[in-house]
Amino acid sequence: MDRPHPNYLLIGIWLAGLMLLGVLLSEVSGHGLPLPRWGTVALILALSTIKATLIALYYMHLKMDRRLLAFVALAPLLLVSLALCVIFSSRFVHL
Amino acid sequence: MSSAHAVSSTAFPTATGIPNGKLGMWLFLASEVMFFSGLLGAYIVLRTSNPSWPGHEGHLNVLMGTINTLVLITSSVTIVLSLAASQRGALSVARAWLLATNLLGLSFLTIKGVEYSAKFAHHILPSTNIFWSCYFTLTGFHGLHVLGGIVFNFIVLGRMGNPTRWSVQAHRLELAGLYWHFVDIVWIFLFPLLYLI
Repeated sequence: MDRPHPNYLLIGIWLAGLMLLGVLLSEVSGHGLPLPRWGTVALILALSTIKATLIALYYMHLKMDRRLLAFVALAPLLLVSLALCVIFSSRFVHL
Repeated sequence: MSSAHAVSSTAFPTATGIPNGKLGMWLFLASEVMFFSGLLGAYIVLRTSNPSWPGHEGHLNVLMGTINTLVLITSSVTIVLSLAASQRGALSVARAWLLATNLLGLSFLTIKGVEYSAKFAHHILPSTNIFWSCYFTLTGFHGLHVLGGIVFNFIVLGRMGNPTRWSVQAHRLELAGLYWHFVDIVWIFLFPLLYLI
């Protein structure tokens, strides 16, 4: 199997760009940005998730590797999702 | 996937078709996800329980955090370029990229050290309040992971000095890369949670 490498540099530029977009959103939040605070928070965390996915797929080669490794990587994320559901349904958390 | 990578994946036949070291590293990273999830979960509970968090006392330098994030993202690029160079047999190029990765990792720790010393100079300690407890715990554990990654990378770099020996140990660079990218991913979530939100 002889596949070309992805363009690592281009992915790096995307990662940096998405990070700077998150910083920009945070800076303009509350200064004319037509988004509620929770919307800005969700957007910034969504950008982080996209960046993490890019790294896992292309830099950690999950996209090209065996499917089993993707399951190993996803298993803790499922557990984390469950834990987050418990956390956000907790009476101690007020959103 | 390059041909070199394909060879390294099939050189040691296993029941799963995945080299044991690589599967072991992924399982280790899965346990690390749970470790940081526990810390982040505690932070989220504390953070969302207090609407005024972190208040005026919890000011962090966004510029330094942004620079550090760029440094870590760049180091992810250099280590994956090192792996690509190793897979095409360009060992000296691979060494140079891996050395650059370590220098960037050390830069990250230096900037973090400058941030820490600024806080200490203002008598801000982990015991100051719950925000700073969370900040020092989260960034401290992450910093230790970066330090561990740098040590791992230096060990791999040392082994790259002997091309004959390296031919049977090249997979270690891939393992070092997996760990390094994981450390980067953790910071990608820590940075907005602590500095931006």
